[in-house]
Amino acid sequence: MTDHLVEAHLKFHDMNAPDDGERKVKDMIARYLAAVERRLPDDAAKDIIAELREAIDSRVEAKEAELGRAAGDDEIAAVLKDFGHPVVVASRYSGNDHLIGPGYYPWFWHVQRIAVGLAIAIGFGIVTIRALGSEEPFRAAFRGIGSALEIALVTFGVVTALFIAAERGKLDMKWAAKWDPKSLPRDNVRQPRTLFESAFTLVFDIVFLLFWVKVVQFPNEIPVRDGASAALAFSPAWDVVYWPILVLAVGVTVVHLADILHPAWSRVRSVVSIAGHLAGLGILWVLYQSQPLIEVTPVDGADLDEIARVVRMVWGIVNVSLGVAALIWVVTIGVEVWRLLRTARAPANPSQVAA
Amino acid sequence: MPIGPDIIEALRLELRRGSLILAVLGTLRSEKYGYTLKTELGEAGVDIDEGALYPMLRRLEAQGLLTSEWREDAKRQKRFYRLSADGAAALEHLTQEWRGMNRALERILGGPPAAAGLKEGRQ
Repeated sequence: MTDHLVEAHLKFHDMNAPDDGERKVKDMIARYLAAVERRLPDDAAKDIIAELREAIDSRVEAKEAELGRAAGDDEIAAVLKDFGHPVVVASRYSGNDHLIGPGYYPWFWHVQRIAVGLAIAIGFGIVTIRALGSEEPFRAAFRGIGSALEIALVTFGVVTALFIAAERGKLDMKWAAKWDPKSLPRDNVRQPRTLFESAFTLVFDIVFLLFWVKVVQFPNEIPVRDGASAALAFSPAWDVVYWPILVLAVGVTVVHLADILHPAWSRVRSVVSIAGHLAGLGILWVLYQSQPLIEVTPVDGADLDEIARVVRMVWGIVNVSLGVAALIWVVTIGVEVWRLLRTARAPANPSQVAA
Repeated sequence: MPIGPDIIEALRLELRRGSLILAVLGTLRSEKYGYTLKTELGEAGVDIDEGALYPMLRRLEAQGLLTSEWREDAKRQKRFYRLSADGAAALEHLTQEWRGMNRALERILGGPPAAAGLKEGRQ
């Protein structure tokens, strides 16, 4: 292809040039034109090249008139450099000097954030599940990280390709003008959740759900001395709260999924959060009333003293955990109530409520 | 923090971009081929490299603002451009816009317009 184009341009430039110097000059111009031509659309290439050839010839003529002699290699090279690299010159004729233009670019990153965020959350969720179900969890996790990143990369590529297609097809952007300042999110009340925060919590939610419905299991034995251990299990007290916890966990997962799509705070989300945490406090109260929550059984010859020590430790940890969780949730409810009250007092000046 | 030369250069190119089209349209009120157009622009103080000029001419022609014709001149085939009727109307509109903008900027900047042309630029 290249040789064919150069030959054609050489023919045009009369290869019966009288001397070797002139022949080299013509060859350089022919190679330049061929390099531009091969990057041009077929239907316009001939016309563009004819004009470019004429422009170069005019410049060379002017240069020779200025020098008072035939232009040499270096002078021709300088003229061609002035015209620009063949790749640049050809691209200027294409009219497409960007993949995604300024009209689509802000939306490109907005959509990427959501799509890649979901892909990472789903990818790492799958990796975690596989790792927990594997006999070699660490090896499975490391193998899976590559796949999760691959999913994120493919998502990024697909979104990019869609936006390039939208740019090329000049997709209608009128919808972007249909926004209402009155419906802007209340980012001044609470900063939107970051992508990392949302994705991380979502992975945790999925793992907990799978654990709760017994799809995955964690090691439940703790060593008490060499060769002896204690097995921990939920006591029957948890049976009463099994379904409430499951419903609550599904709800929390849905809310965290929504955080990726709409990370901003809203009154509805605040009310949902308060309701969820109140339900959580109720569950904690029921559990606190139903001690013991964990049963400890000896494994491989652990004696009663050792088991009693483990029981005291585990019950202590459980009670402290219940207390800490209750405290955090009460504070969370308080914060959400405070946010609702702030937004209920419609301020004259929005900057007064800036966080 | 001092402003880097790359930022100044980017701003300068942005400032020039629209003006170059106006200069090209204005110069093509009389018929010219590429090389004489570039020379005339340069003499008027508007330097533009060919790598940008020829694609621009082609684009303006595709938009219906210019017409072109291949003709022999000094024993060579050359493409002559001139303003179309639509191009003349567009030029009139853009010139009014430019003059209004120029007056506004003079008021804002508080000084006479710079005498220097748009030198050494690329589109």
